[in-house]
Amino acid sequence: MTTIKRDRIRVEVLRFVLLGIGLLLVAIPFLWIILTAFKRPVDAASVPPQIFSPVTAMNFQALNGDGFLKSLVNSTVITVTTTIATLVFGVPAGYAFARGKFPGRRFLGAFLLFSRMMPPVIFIIPLFLFFHNLHLIGTFTGMTLAYLTGLLPFAVWMTASYFQDVPVELEEAARVDGASRVQAFVRIALPLAAPGVISVALLCAIAAWSEYFIPLILAGPDTTPASVGIVNFIGVDTINWGAMAAGALTLIVPVFIATVLAQRGLLRGLTAGALKG
Amino acid sequence: MPTVAETEGRAPAKSRNASLRTASESVFEKYFLMLASWPALLIMLAVTAIPFALTIGLSLTNYDLIKPDWKFIWWENFDRLIHDPQIPQIIFNTAYLVIGTTVLDTMFGLLLAVLMDSRIRGVGIIRSLFMLPIMTAPIVVALTWRAMFNNDSGWINYFLGLLHLPQPVWLGDPHLAMPAVLISDMWTGIPFQAILLLAGLLAVPSELKEAAAADGANRLQVFWHITLPSIRPVLFIAVVLRFIESFRKFEGIQILTTGGPGIASTPLNLHIYNTGLFYDQVGYAASMGVVLVLMIAGSVGLLYLVARRWS
Repeated sequence: MTTIKRDRIRVEVLRFVLLGIGLLLVAIPFLWIILTAFKRPVDAASVPPQIFSPVTAMNFQALNGDGFLKSLVNSTVITVTTTIATLVFGVPAGYAFARGKFPGRRFLGAFLLFSRMMPPVIFIIPLFLFFHNLHLIGTFTGMTLAYLTGLLPFAVWMTASYFQDVPVELEEAARVDGASRVQAFVRIALPLAAPGVISVALLCAIAAWSEYFIPLILAGPDTTPASVGIVNFIGVDTINWGAMAAGALTLIVPVFIATVLAQRGLLRGLTAGALKG
Repeated sequence: MPTVAETEGRAPAKSRNASLRTASESVFEKYFLMLASWPALLIMLAVTAIPFALTIGLSLTNYDLIKPDWKFIWWENFDRLIHDPQIPQIIFNTAYLVIGTTVLDTMFGLLLAVLMDSRIRGVGIIRSLFMLPIMTAPIVVALTWRAMFNNDSGWINYFLGLLHLPQPVWLGDPHLAMPAVLISDMWTGIPFQAILLLAGLLAVPSELKEAAAADGANRLQVFWHITLPSIRPVLFIAVVLRFIESFRKFEGIQILTTGGPGIASTPLNLHIYNTGLFYDQVGYAASMGVVLVLMIAGSVGLLYLVARRWS
């Protein structure tokens, strides 16, 4: 009995030692970002590196001068418009996909899988040509449309899975009592699926905020988001590590806050497009 | 009598009204799901299906962003691809990247998932902390690892120096650029796989494991004969998702190594971007895009067949 108990304790100690090492490895890059963001430029580029050095806020002041603040505003605009557009089109479609038959359902299902598998580079070159002809390059409208290539299928799939969790019987009961189909959707299904829909919205917002590839190609000088603008700290000869780390903090802190809010829906988001394939 | 006539006269009118209402409702009902889903379907058609078809079309042309006229040259782009001296290296890099990240992320991810598969207090917070790299913008991950791998002021070579180990020129060495990409990928990929696989592990009935342990199986035997077969579906999903993710990996290479030195760490995805939008050869890039689609479809199909054979 005692040997089994001792064996269990040994296993648990080993577990926490290994998890501790893992967490340390996860922490080191974050530590670099935080420490570097508050370093003077001289200390940030020193050879050999100084891990701890005098604290300053001058990198955050530099963000203003380099037009990075403007790109944060652009990121916010793109995130809001994209999330709204995704929900407006994605939530009703997700509901329809979860609730039975209609012409085009199989088509929609095939699309969802297809766009989950194909890399964005396949769509982006023709979109670039289209948008060039339609004068949509460098506009928020064009970028919002392009972001939908990935986010709309994701949102349809996710909200469909949440609507499937809402018992159809509840809607049927409401319909027997005289509610129309729209009323059943708006008054019964939507409120019951609301927590799921909110986490879908947050995950879409996080993805839009972090997107790099699409705006790299489709953004203009006045519409560049922070995820692309941060690369400007890499100069021809030198890299402004301090300002870059400060910019990185402004990119990741809002996401971490949203993550805490969306935690319940996170796992479903990660597996979207794969389960019930 | 008149009352009866009245009611008889009224009743059909009433029921006709009612049936009219249900008829119009059922028409609307029939179209409601369509009305709800077709706008999304049309958008997907416009931004996904049509551009995809156009990519296939462009692959048969010599379309170039800086030349005004173009024509169909049919298979010539594909002929050029076969003879392009860079392509074997690009294909090799793609396979190296995709297989390397998937194998490393999944193996260590499974280990991490097993470590997190515990009901002891504090594990919940640890799980949340391991989620942070997944939520970090890929561009930030790429820039941060570029700083970590920096020759002069990077932390990695600094720590290697403290341990009196060799300090290689990570991003400038053709043999180390791709390993550097894999290391930075593992930082997000291992937690990603672990969180997915953990969901599978938590669903394995503990009675099953306890029964096997009672029959004298040790921990490794329980894992190999009970746990691993039970999580096979989740393992398959995790591998496929990582595969797809690796094929589209972009900023983690474009920013970290810029695909270099030379093309030593350029996979097909980045090469398409460079060819089409940097060197303006849209037609040629589109033909590579077709190859990339075939590679993805082929390898996911192969994975599916292997998984079916195995189960």
